[in-house]
Amino acid sequence: MSYNSVDAENTSRTTTMAAYRKLEVKSTQLLEKIRENLEQLNEKIDVMIEIQKHGQRAIPDSLPEALDVMTLLSLPDHLRKTAVTLCKLEEATANEVAEQTKRARAVESGYLNQLVIMGYMKKERRGRKAYFFVNKEA
Amino acid sequence: MGKIIAVHSYKGGTGKTSLAVNLAASYARRGKKVCLMDLDFRAPSLHALFKDQKAEYWLNDYLNGICEIDKILIDASRDHGNGGKLLVALANPSTEAIRDMTAKDRKWEMKALGRLLSLRSSLLNDSGLDYLILDTSPGLQYSSINAIVTADVVLVVTSLDASDIKGSQRMTRELYDLFEKKTGILINKVIADYLSSKEEQKKFNKYIKSVYSLPILATIPCFCEVLRAAGEFIFSEEKPDHPFTETIEKLATKLEKF
Repeated sequence: MSYNSVDAENTSRTTTMAAYRKLEVKSTQLLEKIRENLEQLNEKIDVMIEIQKHGQRAIPDSLPEALDVMTLLSLPDHLRKTAVTLCKLEEATANEVAEQTKRARAVESGYLNQLVIMGYMKKERRGRKAYFFVNKEA
Repeated sequence: MGKIIAVHSYKGGTGKTSLAVNLAASYARRGKKVCLMDLDFRAPSLHALFKDQKAEYWLNDYLNGICEIDKILIDASRDHGNGGKLLVALANPSTEAIRDMTAKDRKWEMKALGRLLSLRSSLLNDSGLDYLILDTSPGLQYSSINAIVTADVVLVVTSLDASDIKGSQRMTRELYDLFEKKTGILINKVIADYLSSKEEQKKFNKYIKSVYSLPILATIPCFCEVLRAAGEFIFSEEKPDHPFTETIEKLATKLEKF
């Protein structure tokens, strides 16, 4: 092998490596995008289930409701636990609420979305995460 | 990590304030950092005991969002610290302030709950307080339920009055349990005859166990001399060897591990 051909081989190897890396970054980005979409889809399904359970009357844009202690007392047990936890955390993802209540993330996500529909909480999407907080303008 | 204790009762006049004050003093004597708060905005009382010192603002102002917590805390350690630290937060006793607090709406109460809940981070985590003791108003009222939601432990003070027992039982089922609160009972002003002999005491304990499903943290006989404090001095400080003080000390130890 001549001196020049080694050089050429090296160049071609570097090019291949760069191409691989590019591909890797691209596929990671694609997977992240798929995950993000799936999470959004999951939450939309949660909301749809809640609307189906409680009728069309309760839509996310319904009037804000104050989440005061008397209201907390009137909530069913499973929702009260979620609501009190969010009051304590002020702002949290379903994951963070689940850590406190020791219940599954999917369960908390369902309850939190239900509380959003009822007008007690608000939800805001920041990047890949959805944050829930108590409706302060109520 | 510090602890928040709410002292509550169904009826008024059960001795909440006296117990809260003596409990706070007991922890201070143990060298702890304690803060005592008057959350009875309808009938404030702690201002009568800590009348020599004035803060820039009242607890009402903190809940109204007018100032931060440091502006309302009075350091009573010089007179009542006894080796520890005793901070006090007072409710505004003026008629105007009471009227203002009773006219608050649900939205305000929701924000007040948020302000109370944030005390855990400002007083317990940042200022390193060991105990925050909340003296509440009796019954089912916003300020007392806000305190219960904020607390780690609820101390329910009850007399042997039939309506008081019924009310406390109902609150256990319909309030403390619903918020999954660690709750203990304190029976106050017990007629001395009930505790006069071992036999009587046994009978009394059996009765109490049949009435309350919650742990009984203390039983305090009716001591007329405790009334002599009249909300103007701290009884356990003046009479360290009195049986009342001994019971408070035992209660403080129990609550430490509760």
